[in-house]
Amino acid sequence: MLRKADNSATFAVAAALGLFLIGGLLTTVVPPLVDKSWAKPFENHDPAKGPTGKLRPYTEQELHGRAIYVREGCWYCHTQQTRTLLADTKRSGWRGVDSPISTPDEFVYDNPHMFGTKRTGPDLSRVGGKYDTQWHRTHFRNPRDLVPGSVMPPFPWIANNESEFQALVAYLQTLGRAKNWRPDNDYER
Amino acid sequence: MHADRAAARAETPSAATVHSDAAAKWFLISAISYFFIVGIIAITIAAKFVWPELLGTVPYLSYGRLRPLHVNGMLFGWLLAADMGLTFYLLPRLCGVKLWSEKLGLATAALWNVIILGAVVALLGGWNQGLEYAELPLPLDILVVIAWVMFGVNVFGTIASRKYEQMYVSIWYVMGTVLWTAFVYLTGNFAVLFTTGVNQANLNWMYVHNAVGLIFTPVGLALAYYFIPKASNTPLYSHKLSMIGFWSLAFVYVWTGAHHMLHGPISQWLQTIAITFSVMLLIPVWAVVYNFFATMKGQWHQLRENVPLKFLMSGVVFYLLTCFQGPMHSLRSVNAIVSKTDWIPGHAHMAVLGAFSFFAIAGTYYVIPRIYRTKLHSEALANWSFWFIMMGGLGFFVTLWLGGFWQGWQWNNPSIPFIDTVVALKPVWTVRFFSGVLIFCGIVMFGYNIMATAIGARGEARQEA
Repeated sequence: MLRKADNSATFAVAAALGLFLIGGLLTTVVPPLVDKSWAKPFENHDPAKGPTGKLRPYTEQELHGRAIYVREGCWYCHTQQTRTLLADTKRSGWRGVDSPISTPDEFVYDNPHMFGTKRTGPDLSRVGGKYDTQWHRTHFRNPRDLVPGSVMPPFPWIANNESEFQALVAYLQTLGRAKNWRPDNDYER
Repeated sequence: MHADRAAARAETPSAATVHSDAAAKWFLISAISYFFIVGIIAITIAAKFVWPELLGTVPYLSYGRLRPLHVNGMLFGWLLAADMGLTFYLLPRLCGVKLWSEKLGLATAALWNVIILGAVVALLGGWNQGLEYAELPLPLDILVVIAWVMFGVNVFGTIASRKYEQMYVSIWYVMGTVLWTAFVYLTGNFAVLFTTGVNQANLNWMYVHNAVGLIFTPVGLALAYYFIPKASNTPLYSHKLSMIGFWSLAFVYVWTGAHHMLHGPISQWLQTIAITFSVMLLIPVWAVVYNFFATMKGQWHQLRENVPLKFLMSGVVFYLLTCFQGPMHSLRSVNAIVSKTDWIPGHAHMAVLGAFSFFAIAGTYYVIPRIYRTKLHSEALANWSFWFIMMGGLGFFVTLWLGGFWQGWQWNNPSIPFIDTVVALKPVWTVRFFSGVLIFCGIVMFGYNIMATAIGARGEARQEA
């Protein structure tokens, strides 16, 4: 086979594509067919099976906020996944309660997905309901006013644009809320 | 015997065919310009880690918009354009014929510049698709596909009309690049648009990983396989080993996308497959690297004087290191520490800057004097450019690995507040910024040297006329 590929471009092309497509198809087309949880929105009413709740589609305002999150590249520094690591469930947790891990069924309506690859700032997968609107306004104007040492850029053009600001906060408050993980529902608005 | 023949091929002087190299020239000149311009953006965003308020009130110059411009500009504006230009140089020579169409090549170069300029406007305006490496909006994606088809036609047209029956290893790698890129790019920029959530992320990571693994790796290795024997005037050690490297790369690379989401919300079995194949990557990598080292046996002394060879062999070492890191941090235990930390940019920069950009810089230093039929403007300056980029690069990579590991350990101790892990990294980011300045100085020397060579050669030609 090797000798043949040496002299025949047609053979080389066919073999290179064939080998590539085996892995290509098995790792992209097949997984969503096998694992149905990738496409089925989260819904659980039985506390015995873990956190209850239901994933709902984004509202128009939340989608607008999400578009701003994409536009400003927030996702280059903030991941949105509480991984299966103890430290992640602690860090995504709040007021002494650990966060549930992220599951595929919580992200069915996410387009584009915002899982992220880099955590320059904290993970945001459970940030919804942790801080109120006034906190976010101050924070977007200058993050260092609330978190000394932060390297997050200021976003005055969002903080000063009421509709953009409200939309972005509305989106942020949805993050991680499909699962009702807070005891006593103590979410901020 | 096999190896001798193939190596002899790489050495065959193409005296019979006169190459115009116009397309190669224009790709290289524009690539170097973007290397310089995007280099400014690179040090700007590195500076923003040290001084977060820098340019903070201008939306168009905020970190979130400059970062994708840095990544896309370096990947497509500099590296892929340089790779295409160098392909247009080496492919006709390995085939013993002229490039199938210089005019088509020039049109491809022109279209490529339109794409890059469009990318600058789109990304600064915040017109971002929200998918890593696939930030460019749809109209530009379509132009990329058109440009790639034009490039592919030229490549396969040249190969189909070749005079030598046997194909040297660089030719397979170029063919592989053209074919795989087509599928990988379509997956990452078009197929993703029909999916959401984890399914989309899976396609996105397949693209992100293979943009490096099946675009920049094969074309980069095509360059290395051509320029290492050429620059050292030594035949390649083994043709057979190069085949093992190529065919195992073709099979193994594409499976690994899900290793970007280890421990994340994606099926465990898919993570395990990705890990298994990531570890198997050691096979193609070692086959390639061993071949290059064995080629240099008894020839290492040439590194003292030969600047292209310095870039090539340091690039090979960085390639080995980066491809050793990759499989290792795909292991769950290591991944739990380094994933999402500053280790990752350290790793990514070693692949794209340390390995593949080094190959492209070496190729450019090698071909520009030959294309313009003159001598390099300054060998001394070329040597300085190597040491600046090398020292800056090492400073960049090493501090980010150490810093990233440290950061990962801190994250795994939840009693340390997150902001303390940010503050702890500030010295690391400061060193990274100054390393970036060193790299940028090297880029300026490289660009100036090449431009001075090109312009000087033109001046001479005019005088003679």
